Amino acid sequence: MAKQLTGVGATPRSGVGTVIWYERESTVSADTAQEPSDDPAVEFERFETARNTAIEEVETERDRTRERVGDEEANVFEAHKQFLKDPQIESAVKTAVESGVVAENAVREAFAGPIKQFSAMDGMMAERADDLRDVRDRLIRILRGAERTDLSALPDGSVVFADLLTPSDTAQLSPESIAGVATVKGGRTSHAAIIARSLGIPAVVGVGDDLRTVTEGETVVVDGNGGTIIVGPDREAIKQYEAETTAAVTNSSVTTANSVPIEVAGNLGTPAEAPPAVKAGADGVGLFRTEFLFLDRDAPPTEDEQFEAYYEVCSQFADRCANNDGHVIIRTADIGGDKPIPYLSLDPEENGFLGARGIRLSLEEHTDLFETQLRALLRVAATDVGDSIAVMFPLVSTVEELAAAIDRVERVQTALDAEGVTARVPELGVMIETPGSVFLANAFAKRVDFLSIGTNDLVQYVLAAQRDLDRMDSYQDPLAPAVLRAIDHTTTAAENNDAWVGMCGEMAGDPTLTELLIGLGLSELSMSAVTIPEVKQAVKDTDTAAARELAETVLACETHTEVRAALEIEK
Amino acid sequence: MERVVTVVPEDGLHARPAAKFVETAGEYEARVTVEPVDESRPAVAADSMLAVTGLGIKGGNSVKLVADGDDAEAVLDALEAVLTETVDESQ
Repeated sequence: MAKQLTGVGATPRSGVGTVIWYERESTVSADTAQEPSDDPAVEFERFETARNTAIEEVETERDRTRERVGDEEANVFEAHKQFLKDPQIESAVKTAVESGVVAENAVREAFAGPIKQFSAMDGMMAERADDLRDVRDRLIRILRGAERTDLSALPDGSVVFADLLTPSDTAQLSPESIAGVATVKGGRTSHAAIIARSLGIPAVVGVGDDLRTVTEGETVVVDGNGGTIIVGPDREAIKQYEAETTAAVTNSSVTTANSVPIEVAGNLGTPAEAPPAVKAGADGVGLFRTEFLFLDRDAPPTEDEQFEAYYEVCSQFADRCANNDGHVIIRTADIGGDKPIPYLSLDPEENGFLGARGIRLSLEEHTDLFETQLRALLRVAATDVGDSIAVMFPLVSTVEELAAAIDRVERVQTALDAEGVTARVPELGVMIETPGSVFLANAFAKRVDFLSIGTNDLVQYVLAAQRDLDRMDSYQDPLAPAVLRAIDHTTTAAENNDAWVGMCGEMAGDPTLTELLIGLGLSELSMSAVTIPEVKQAVKDTDTAAARELAETVLACETHTEVRAALEIEK
Repeated sequence: MERVVTVVPEDGLHARPAAKFVETAGEYEARVTVEPVDESRPAVAADSMLAVTGLGIKGGNSVKLVADGDDAEAVLDALEAVLTETVDESQ
């Protein structure tokens, strides 16, 4: 019988894979063999450079975690940043390098006292010792010029075993390739557990020292439901767990319990994200952001380059969409503001969240970029894989803008026809994300085939609370009564004008809200790949009459508290 | 210039509020120290994350802030705002 180890299940999922032991940086032995330094000034400068790099890394990880997991976990990195900037640490490092040690050892010495002090304290304070170790190890790694173990590039089917995963470690894990995670230490509420859960990675934490008896390369089952690790499972056990894992993915399109079809689609940022979405059972693509084509480069992408990218994504979904009337919705470039582009020299102040971004840039300063993008899109629409393609415009807030965008599409089609290039005008739609677009949803729905509600921006604009400001965190809630009413207004407008309406944005991927969203009248939900299986299940469990009743109850609520009570969401 | 403030966030001067507190303190010219009112412990520099978290201040505890410099009043106002910011109950 296979060996079984018990821990705490952190993600209610199972995975089968090959063990890779991840040695944290701290397990690297001390630099006792290093030559003493004879130039304190050089060593201190090395420390300062390393610290700046560390702060940049921490900021990147904070933003990444905020995007993928949430603000609460991202705040850990704020604390790390302040530890890095601590004057006590700085002066301790200075004293140490002046006594003739290299920067690496100076950092180790500077952190030793505080780590000891925090470890001796209780509860939450002891956790700060882990943060300090994480910060210290980051500095030492940077000082050594060592490559960090790239947890984001492990082979498919890896199960990561570790003593303890730090927030920085876990933030790098890619749910597409990682089959599971198991740790010696940590509890259900450790950062690693929370992050793994929100990424949908099967995880068992706090297994204890027994975990160390498992060697790298062994096959294990990580059973996050039962909180167990099965080492060397027999074929039957593997089959059973694989069946459980694959059963969760529904590849066919789904309907509600009373047979109303709901399209469950994926949000993509690059063509590389298409295969994981297909694997997770996406019926189509509800939002393909095209900004990646325009960012991090010196010149705008050519028409052919864009054609390739759109063609690739459409071909990945061609079979799916043909079978279940799915869509591949491509959003025209939503650039400006927080997404600077070197070759456009945009003024960040004029192009902020309330500035010249999205469709505004496309219609004014950068019609050339817009036209090139439309040419590529219309050409793809006429190809063998282009039937499902749909194009939508971001940040529209007036009918004039929408009419100008549609007019531009028609003129591009005329031009392509004149050139003898095969092209077709696909379904067109509008993102509903500004209060203006909500109020005008009727007028918009008359002019296009579909509306798509972008909840992240809608919340920001309806509540006038900037997304990237910490102090505005508490406003970023799609369950705000004002936002729910905006959604209802939009779906009603769509229904009255025979347009269909979908939702892309965090809210669409929350399976606990699926019933409400169906009740509000959405027929397409688009989300990151990882939540697709759960949302499909939630669709199947929904009855539209009950859902409508729930929506009506929720729409009658005037406060957050009432909404949450109606949805039975704990605080 | 000094001010006594009762800490509102339940978790006290810990993790996120602490990071914000320290960051804010560092943004002003005035030198600021912080010390617990309820127990006798030496005042520490408000711009040190180590020192501030090391105090182990909990929600409901009072702290004495002492600021010395041209913008002393401004920094005290800003720090008081951080310490009395309520945590969103809907989360």
